[in-house]
Amino acid sequence: MSERIGFYICHCGINIAYRVRVQEVAEYAATFPGVVVSKDYLFMCSDPGQDLIEKDIKNLGLTHVIVASCSPRMHEKTFRAACQRAGLNPYRAFHMVCVREHGSWVTESEDEATAKAITLVRAGLMRVTNQVALFPSKFSVNPNTLVVGGGIAGMQAALDIASSGNQVYLVERQPTVGGHMLQYDKTFPTLDCAACIGTPKMVAVGQDKNINLMTNSEVESVSGFVGNFKVNVNQRSRYVKTNCTGCGDCAKVCPVEAPNEWDVGTKMRKAIYISFPQAVPVRYAIEKYDRGPCVQTCPAGINIQGFVALIKDGRYQESLKVIMETMPLPGTLGRICPAPCEAQCRRREVDSPLAVCQLKRFAADQVDWDTLPAPEIEKKPETEKVAVIGAGPAGLSTAYFLAKKGYHPTIFERAPFAGGMLRAGIPDYRLPPAVLEQEINYIKKLGVDIQLNVEIGQDRPVAGFFDEGFKAVYLAVGAQSSMKLKIENEDAVGVMHGIDYLGLLNRRQPVKTGNKVAVVGGGDVAIDAAREAIRQGASEVKMLYRRSREEMPASKHEIQAAEEEGIKIELLTAPVSVLTTDGKVSGLRCIKMELGEPDASGRRRPVPVADSEFDVDCDMIIPAIGQRVNSSFLEGTEGIELTRWGTIVADPVTYQTTFPGIFAGGDMFTGPSVAVAAVAAGQQAAISIERYLLGEDLAENRPSKPTGNNWKAISKKVKASSRAKMPILPVAERLDNYKEVELGFDEAQARAEAARCVDCGGCCECKLCIEACKAGAIDHEMTDKKETIDVGSIIIATGFDPMNPVKMTQYGYGKYRNVFTNIEFERLSNATGPTAGKLLKRDLKDPLKFTEAPKSVAILHCIGSRDQNYHEYCSRTCCMYALKYAHLLKDKCGHDTQVYNFYIDMRCFGKGYEEFYKKVQAEGVKMIRGKAGSITEDENGILTVKGEDTLSGRLIEVPVEMVILCTAMEARPDAPDVMRKFGIGIGQDGFFQESHPKLAPVSTPTSGVFLAGACQGPKDIPDTVAQAKGAAAEALALTSAGQVEIPPMISSIDPDICVGCQLCIGLCAYSAIEFNRYAGISEVNSAICKGCGSCSGICPSGAAKVRHFTDKQIFAEIDGLLLSQGA
Amino acid sequence: MSEFEPQIVAFFCNWCTFTAADLAGTSRLSYPPNLKIIRVMCTGMVDPKFVIKAFLHGADGVLIGGCWPGDCHYINGNLKARRRVANLTEVLKQYGIGEDRFWLRWIAASEGTMLQEVAKDMTEKLKQLGPSPLRNLGQIAV
Repeated sequence: MSERIGFYICHCGINIAYRVRVQEVAEYAATFPGVVVSKDYLFMCSDPGQDLIEKDIKNLGLTHVIVASCSPRMHEKTFRAACQRAGLNPYRAFHMVCVREHGSWVTESEDEATAKAITLVRAGLMRVTNQVALFPSKFSVNPNTLVVGGGIAGMQAALDIASSGNQVYLVERQPTVGGHMLQYDKTFPTLDCAACIGTPKMVAVGQDKNINLMTNSEVESVSGFVGNFKVNVNQRSRYVKTNCTGCGDCAKVCPVEAPNEWDVGTKMRKAIYISFPQAVPVRYAIEKYDRGPCVQTCPAGINIQGFVALIKDGRYQESLKVIMETMPLPGTLGRICPAPCEAQCRRREVDSPLAVCQLKRFAADQVDWDTLPAPEIEKKPETEKVAVIGAGPAGLSTAYFLAKKGYHPTIFERAPFAGGMLRAGIPDYRLPPAVLEQEINYIKKLGVDIQLNVEIGQDRPVAGFFDEGFKAVYLAVGAQSSMKLKIENEDAVGVMHGIDYLGLLNRRQPVKTGNKVAVVGGGDVAIDAAREAIRQGASEVKMLYRRSREEMPASKHEIQAAEEEGIKIELLTAPVSVLTTDGKVSGLRCIKMELGEPDASGRRRPVPVADSEFDVDCDMIIPAIGQRVNSSFLEGTEGIELTRWGTIVADPVTYQTTFPGIFAGGDMFTGPSVAVAAVAAGQQAAISIERYLLGEDLAENRPSKPTGNNWKAISKKVKASSRAKMPILPVAERLDNYKEVELGFDEAQARAEAARCVDCGGCCECKLCIEACKAGAIDHEMTDKKETIDVGSIIIATGFDPMNPVKMTQYGYGKYRNVFTNIEFERLSNATGPTAGKLLKRDLKDPLKFTEAPKSVAILHCIGSRDQNYHEYCSRTCCMYALKYAHLLKDKCGHDTQVYNFYIDMRCFGKGYEEFYKKVQAEGVKMIRGKAGSITEDENGILTVKGEDTLSGRLIEVPVEMVILCTAMEARPDAPDVMRKFGIGIGQDGFFQESHPKLAPVSTPTSGVFLAGACQGPKDIPDTVAQAKGAAAEALALTSAGQVEIPPMISSIDPDICVGCQLCIGLCAYSAIEFNRYAGISEVNSAICKGCGSCSGICPSGAAKVRHFTDKQIFAEIDGLLLSQGA
Repeated sequence: MSEFEPQIVAFFCNWCTFTAADLAGTSRLSYPPNLKIIRVMCTGMVDPKFVIKAFLHGADGVLIGGCWPGDCHYINGNLKARRRVANLTEVLKQYGIGEDRFWLRWIAASEGTMLQEVAKDMTEKLKQLGPSPLRNLGQIAV
C-alpha cells in the first residue's frame, strides 16, 4: 500500500482534551489502514507541533497528514504550509478535522465528544487518500488601495498608505471628509480639540498627491478578487466646479433652507452649502433632487419651487423673473389657471396643497410693470422676422420667447385688442383688463410688434406673409366659434352663445341680457356667463348641466362663488328644445338625465330618463358647451391640412404644419384647452421656429420635461398648517359691478404660504447663485460621474451611527426641548456649531434658538447600550465622553453648575482614562450609580430625572434644566448593503465581522478586504486609529508582496465526459463557463471561476467538478461518517 | 435497549453556516453530537448525489445549511440550492424519505444560537421518526 498517513490530534491546552479523550482517538486512528504514525500533542499549531509533522513526513516518508484540532478556518493554512515545507503538495496531502468548535466545545459528555471525534477523524482519514495535488495560480497585485469612508479611520489608513508612495482612492459619501470625530468638540481624556488634531489630517488627505479624494461618492459595485478588484464608484454631482473658492456668496443668496446634517439639525443651512467652515474639500455642494411634481406637472414647466422660495424670502422681483423664464403672463395666469400643479403638490401628505396659482399672482402684483426692467437681449438682424397670427396666449407666448431670443415677431390680430380669449372670454371681475394689458405692454417692450384689426383670409392669405419678408409663420387663432346645441329653435331671438356673450360684454358693446337666464353647460365659460348675467341685471340665473356636480369641469371655487352670488345649478338636466313665442325665447324644454357607463373622457355618460321632460321658464338662453376652430382665415392658402374636427394638422413634436415654415399651436391645434397649455405650445413653437430659421433639425434633442420621483423626504418635523385663504370681495359689493372678486394675498399671508413649500427638489433652481458666484463655479447641469477604478486591496471604514433615542419615549427625546443627544451636545460645544461653542439651553418654543446656560444638567449613560431591548453590547466610549461633558459644563457654565452622571458601571479602561475620571470627580461632578428610568417635564421646562441610586438603594428624583442622553453607537442602517457589495460578514450586533476576534481583527472572509474603525464595532479614537494603521499595514503587505496565490479549489469540466448540455453555463453567476463550439463541450475559464460549484451541483453527466470537493472526496467523507450505520 | 440515536449528515457552506458552527463552538453552545458537518464552499455545490448517498448509507437525516437569500458569498448559489432541494425533496418522498428528514436552513455566520436550535430540533424530530427506512438498503446498493 503506497499511502502512508500521519495522524495528529491536538489537546489545544485543555480546550479539546478536557472533553475528548485524545489518546483514545489517536489509538483508534493508529488502527486505521495506511496510518503509520498517530500522535497526540499539547499544541499542534505551535512551532514544535508543526516541527513534529515536518520531521515525521521526512523521516517516515508520510504521504498524507491529518490534524484533528480547531476549525480549519483557523489553522488549515498553518498546517498546509508545514506540509509544503516538508515537500508535500498540501492539497493532496493534508486534511484538517475540527474536534474543538464542532466537538469538545459543543458536546456535553466526554463519551459522546470522544465518539464524535472518532467519527469525524474516520471521515477525514477516508477523505484524505482521495485528494489530489493542486497548484494555486499566482496573480500580480495592483498596488492601489480603495478606502471606503473618510472618517478618522479612513483618513488615517489613506494617509499611511499614501506615505508609502502607493495610490489611494478615498471614497466618502458626504461632501466632506472628517466623519464623526470632526463633529466633536474636545476629545477625552486629554481634552485636545477634535478640530485641532483632526483638521490637519483632513487637509493632508486633501493635498496628498497620492490620495485621490472622491467625496459625495459611493461605491456601487465591486468585482474581481484579491489583488485585482474592479470598483465602480458613483460620484454624485455637487453642481459646483473645482474652481469654487469657498467664499460663500452663493449661500447668502440661496432662498432654500434645510437643517444642516453636520450639526444634526441644530442649525439651518442653505441648499447650496458647505458642511462646516473647515470642510475638505472646501467646495460648496448643492443638495438637489428630481424637480418637484408641481414643476413636472405644469404644462408651461414653470419653476414653481423656485418662485415660491423667492416669495418666502421676500424677493418678489426675482421671483417674477423665475416665472417669466417660461411664462410671460404671470398676473393673468395667476388669476385664471386651473393649477394642475396643486393637485400633485406633496404638501398634501402633510395637510393641503400649496396655493401655487395665487402665489404666482402675488408675485406679479408686487412689481411695477411700467418700470420693470426688460432683460438684455442680443438682437438678431432686422430681417429675422416671424409673423404670428392671433394675439391669444399661444401667440403672445411664441412672440415673447422669440423676442427673448432676439428675433423680430409681429402679431396680427383680428380683434381691436390683444389677449384673445383672455380678454374676450374672461370677465373683468376675474381678470381685470389692466392686468392683462400691463403684461402685454411688457411683451411689447421686448420688441414684439402687435398689429390689431388685421383680418387674415382671402385678401391677405397666410402664405402671403413669406412674400412680405417674414421667414416663418405661427398660427394661433384659437377656438373662437361656439358649439351648437343642435336643438329645435336654436336660432330664436334670445339665444346667445356663451363666448359671444362674454366677448360682447368684454368689448363694452351693448348686449341685452334677459330677466330670467338659462345657461347650458358646466364649464368655466358657463360659470362666467352666468355670473356676468347676474351683473348685467338678470333677476334669475339658472345653470343647466347634464351630469352631476362631481363631473363639472369648472373649478370648484368658481362654482362656489357663483352659488354665493345666487346662481342656481340644475344638475342632470339637458335641453331638448327652445320654446318660443313670436320667434323669441319663452322657455327651454329640458329632460332629466341619469349617469350610465363612463365614456371616452372617463366621465359617466348621461342618459335621458324617459318621460321626464319639464320646462324652464326663461327669456334668454346662453349655451356654453364648448368651442371649435373657425378655419376661414386659411382661405387663399393651399397646403395646410385640417382634421375632421376642424383643428389643424401639425407634427405633435415640432408643431410644424403640412406647409413648411408654418407652425401652429394653441386651441386651434389641440382643440379648446386652458391658457397655460397655450403658453406651453408657445414655448415649443419658439424652439421649432428658431431651429427652422437656423436650418437645424426640428425634432432632435428637444429639451425634455423633467421626470423622476426621487424627491426630498418630507421632514417629520413639518407641522400641519392651513392653506392661506384668499380674501374676497363680499357678495353684496360685487353684484352690480366688475370689481375684482379675489383680492390677492397680503404680504405676510403670501410669505407664510410660500414657507409651507416642502422643497421637493432640494435646490429650487432659482439660479441666483450663478449670478452671485464671481468664480463662475456653479453648474446646474452637472451630472453624476461614474468611474471604474482598479485596486488591489480595499479598506472598509464606514463608521457607525449614533442611535436615535426617539423610540425610548420614557426619555422624551424630540418632545422635551432640553433633552439632547450626545452628538447634539458636541455640536453645541463646538465652535462651529449653532451656539459657537456656548453651552446653552434651547428656547422652549423655537428649537433653533438657544437662550442661557443651564444651572443643572443630568448626563444619562447607556442609552441603548447594555440594554436587552436595544443593544446588548457596551458602546465603550460613553462613560468617557460623559465625563468629558461633565468637565466641559463645569468649565464653560461655571463651577456652580450642578452635573449629575447616571451610570451603571464606569468603564475607564484606556490610557489616562481612570486618571481623567478621578480628575472630573474632584471637580464636584455627582456620580449616581443607577440607570435613569424616565424624564418628565413641567410647564417651565424643568426636567425631572427619575432613577434608582443602587448604592443607597433609594429611588431619587433630580430636577435639572438640561439632560444629555449618551446614545449607543450602532451599525449603519445600510451595513447589510455594504456587506453584500464587498462580500464580508455581519455579526449579531450588526457591525462587520472580523475574521478572528483576536488574531485577525482587521481581516474579513474576502481576502484583500480589510476593516478599520467603528464599522467593525464601537471604539474610541485611539483604537480606531490603531486599527486603521493595522488595516493599512495589511493592504501594504499585500502590495509589497506583489503577487497573490489564488486557492486552486475551482471548477473544472472533464472534456471526456461533458456532453455539451450547457446547463452549467446558465447557472454560473460569474459567466466563467463558455461553450466550445468546435469541441461541443463547456469549458471553465479558471481566471474568472470562484469555485462556488453551481456547475458541479447541476451537471447531469458528472463532468463538472470543483477541485478538492469532488464526488469521490465527499463520498469518502460521507462513508466515513456513516460507517458504523447500516447493516 | 438504548435510545435510538439518529445520524445526521450536515452540508454547511464555508461562509455562513460553517462559520456559525464555529461561532456556536466559541460561544460554547452545546448541541447533540448526532449532527456531523461536512464542509462545502457553497450550498450551490451540494450535488443531489451527496444527499442520496448519505441516505443510502444510513443517514437518518440530511441538513443543508447556507447563507440567507441575498447574502450568498457567490452571489446566488444558495438560491440554486433551494431549487435543487425542492426537486430532490419530491424525489426522496417516493423512496420513503419525507421532508422531515431532509432540511434546508439559512443560518448566517452570526447565528450560532440558531445553529444550536436547528441541531436540537432536527435531532429531536428524527428521534420521534425513528430510523430511516433506507438504513438497511445502503449495504445492498453499494
